[in-house]
Amino acid sequence: MNRKNKINSQPPRWAERLLGRIAAPHHREEILGDLYELFHKRGQRYGYTKARLLYVLEMVLLLHPRLWRNTSRSTHLDSKFIFDSQSNPTAMFNNHLKVAFRKISRHKSYTLINAVSLSLGIACAILIFTLVKYHLSFDDFHADQNRIYRIYTEFHGEKVTYNTGVPNPLGEAFRGGYNAAEEVGRIAFLPKRVVSVSPEKKFEEDIAFADPEFLSIFNFPLIQGNPKTALQDRNTVLITDEIAKKYFGTQDPVGQLLRVDDSLLVRITGVLQDLPPNTDFRSQIYIPFSNLQDHSPWMVEKDWWFSVNKEMQCFVRLKPGISAASVNKTILPAISNTYYDKEPAQYFQFRLQPLSDVHFNPELRGKTDKKNLRTFAWIGFFLILTACVNFINLATAQAIGRSREIGVRKALGSRRAPLFWQFITETAVIAGLAMVVALGLAYLALPFVNGWFEIDLTLNLLTDRYLLAFLSVLLLLVVFFSGAYPGLILARFQPLLALKGMPAQRSAGGFSLRKGLVVGQFAISQLLIIGTLIITTQLRYSQQADMGFQKDAIVILPVPDNQKSKLSALGAEFSELSGVENATFFDTPPASEAVGSTSIRFDSRPEAEDFSIAIKSADHQYVPTFKIPILAGRNLNPSDTIREYLLNETAVKALRLASLDDVLGKPATINGRPGTIVGVMKDFHFQSFRAAIEPLCLTTRSESYGSCGINVNLANLGPTLAGLEKVWTTLYPSSIFTYRFMDEEIGRFYKLDNMLLRLIQAFTGIAIFVGCLGLYGLVSFMAAQKTKEIGVRKVLGASNPSILWLFGKEFIRLLLIAFALAAPLAWWVMEGWLNKFVYRVEPGAGIFILAIVITLFVALLTVGFRSLKASRANPIKALRSE
Amino acid sequence: MKGTQLGEFEEIVLLTIALCYDEAYSVAVMEELSQRLERPMSLGAVHRAMQRLEEKGLVQSRLGEATAERGGRRKRLFTVTMAGEQSLREARRIRNELWEGIPKTAFGI
Repeated sequence: MNRKNKINSQPPRWAERLLGRIAAPHHREEILGDLYELFHKRGQRYGYTKARLLYVLEMVLLLHPRLWRNTSRSTHLDSKFIFDSQSNPTAMFNNHLKVAFRKISRHKSYTLINAVSLSLGIACAILIFTLVKYHLSFDDFHADQNRIYRIYTEFHGEKVTYNTGVPNPLGEAFRGGYNAAEEVGRIAFLPKRVVSVSPEKKFEEDIAFADPEFLSIFNFPLIQGNPKTALQDRNTVLITDEIAKKYFGTQDPVGQLLRVDDSLLVRITGVLQDLPPNTDFRSQIYIPFSNLQDHSPWMVEKDWWFSVNKEMQCFVRLKPGISAASVNKTILPAISNTYYDKEPAQYFQFRLQPLSDVHFNPELRGKTDKKNLRTFAWIGFFLILTACVNFINLATAQAIGRSREIGVRKALGSRRAPLFWQFITETAVIAGLAMVVALGLAYLALPFVNGWFEIDLTLNLLTDRYLLAFLSVLLLLVVFFSGAYPGLILARFQPLLALKGMPAQRSAGGFSLRKGLVVGQFAISQLLIIGTLIITTQLRYSQQADMGFQKDAIVILPVPDNQKSKLSALGAEFSELSGVENATFFDTPPASEAVGSTSIRFDSRPEAEDFSIAIKSADHQYVPTFKIPILAGRNLNPSDTIREYLLNETAVKALRLASLDDVLGKPATINGRPGTIVGVMKDFHFQSFRAAIEPLCLTTRSESYGSCGINVNLANLGPTLAGLEKVWTTLYPSSIFTYRFMDEEIGRFYKLDNMLLRLIQAFTGIAIFVGCLGLYGLVSFMAAQKTKEIGVRKVLGASNPSILWLFGKEFIRLLLIAFALAAPLAWWVMEGWLNKFVYRVEPGAGIFILAIVITLFVALLTVGFRSLKASRANPIKALRSE
Repeated sequence: MKGTQLGEFEEIVLLTIALCYDEAYSVAVMEELSQRLERPMSLGAVHRAMQRLEEKGLVQSRLGEATAERGGRRKRLFTVTMAGEQSLREARRIRNELWEGIPKTAFGI
């Protein structure tokens, strides 16, 4: 009790301590005394509890700059001359800054090397950050985006395959029978359709057919029109503001008519706000889903559960509290079981994909791979690291030159901390400069990056909080990472030794570390070089290897509609053109990203096969046009409906038949339609090299033909194309003539990889350049240090090459060590990448040898350039001082 | 150089310092003031005012003896300087002149 009283009758300890810390020294005593006195007076008057409270209140009211201001009354004049480093950080900082600027302007080349390498590194980091942030922000602006899912299809055959689409009736089934979703909306995306305002004004656009729920699931606000009734009435259309401006200029678009593909006349009832850049829903024209029946009846067979089209998608917003896992576990399997027989119910399974995954999932046609983003992040990190390594290397090398300065400072009584901070300030000034330059560089480079990636990145320093935060953190990290170690080294110098100018290399501790860092730098460069070489080789192989069919000199035209009479007229007229060998109509070219797969039942076997077969529709000219070899039987006969099937070798193997001839003449039911197998094609790659060749069949079915392939003579391509256009425009006057080459089509498989490659190439170049800058600086310092040694050697008769070797041998050794580290790492990383390809190159020794030769060459060029200068110098100059 | 204008609160504090003569330190001044003005006063306000006065050269300070009631800490004692006295007189003169200048009818009815 007594003890407690005693504690109570003291002012709060923490407050006293805090005040003692805050108050300037000359105020401390009187203030603490005043408060103490008041406390006791009040304690006796009102009781100690209240007194304690008042003490704290009094303390808070005391907090004012005057309390910690340093200008004391008695030392008013003297304070300018007395340098109290501890209690006046601002003055110290100003001094640091002044010295830093002097240092920087004295060592211009050193600063330049550091600033340039840091700027390049930081500029890349900024670009990479912007890119990664952009991709991570995809479709994150929808309200309740965490509850939005896409339903996708999993085909459980021999192995599981995925499709972004679902059968048309699924949406209705999910909406009607189950109580899990707030909204269910079907959307069919149709790329590149012709939309016309008048016969003269027509455009090719991506259009979409959507349920009215689309507007409530997603946050695409209307500028004009009523979101409640939009997409409800047939023959209406919503367009974005951008499209409205493009079509009608300043005219009011609402009420205007649009013609879609000649088959549909729709009236504009609303205008959508322009799409934000970070969405994968790029269609700018939305037509009610009910109109899809008129436009593409093949996509919407009402109760047809057996076809899945990747463009025919279904989105849901679940009710709050309902988890995707539970829907995946109960409702979606229940749908499969209700609407399919036992066996197909096993085969067709549906799952929910979160909206946040839509942009990234490579299996479900995501536009980006998170792995690529991670690769970029690593590259950015490496680049910054290389730049910092330069900094550390040059700084420690320079430390020897600065020893006298340190000695003098120490002898005059400077302690370690201010010396350390002095160095950090220098680093911060250079890093700050570099950051400004880097921002400029990033701004300049942005249009190129946007061009490569076909995206629309913006850098806005003033409004982008994330960017600002990133830059601040980056600056801090760079400053401390590259400044701390040299700072510590410098601050630790023994003043006596330092004054004598001999903080020996070993005592500086810098040399071995410097070697390590150079090795690291080389290793990073080599890693990137090997990566670049392997990616290049694989992509070249993928795009140039024989795919099993002819892909050069083939022009592909889209066909706006597939009326039989028009197709045959078009085919006949095309064939008559002089540069044309063959013309064929089909749904997809031999290699295509869009491959549908379906079930097959062979001969009299009682059950469907346990594998799925890819199906392509094409006329009898397909095989000769693409020069696909027939191994057994014959080509398809001309027909407009499904009568005959051509299988590939893999399909025959999958049917477990002994010889190719065994299938000939046998019936088969594919996709529920019976036909006869008439021949076997040689296997060809009908997907990218990432996928193995799977069973495939080819059949005639004219209503699904959407493209025309023409085998043209490359010798006079110009006139041939002109001829094609002429025939085309007479038959399809309201459509736009567009064409592409088959090999471009194949190039699209590897578009993402090609972008990746180009970016990695650029970054590799920068990494090598930055590394070389560092090397150059390092060799410069070595040369400066060894001036006398070189002088003596020369006087004693050493030749220039032998002096070059003096510098070179050390670096070659380091480079080889780096290679020993980088090669296995690169091999391991690239194996991971290559394994995504079923048909891939094996990285041979050649690539690794090439990588080391490149680095050797570049490094020796750098070293050689500088050391040549050193070896050429007149020895008299070097030796004169002694 | 900051103006040596005397603020209203500063004037009162300065007067109080003069009043307390040899015993003028912040707690004493604060207590005197809160008694006379009949409102609570914070130590901080007084402390700052006294510092300002010292910066303007109107008061000077010295450290007194350490006493037990202050937990063994010394107090800072203030005395009014010549300049301080002068500015107090000046302020008084201005006030007197103003009072005398007020026409009789101003507070009339």
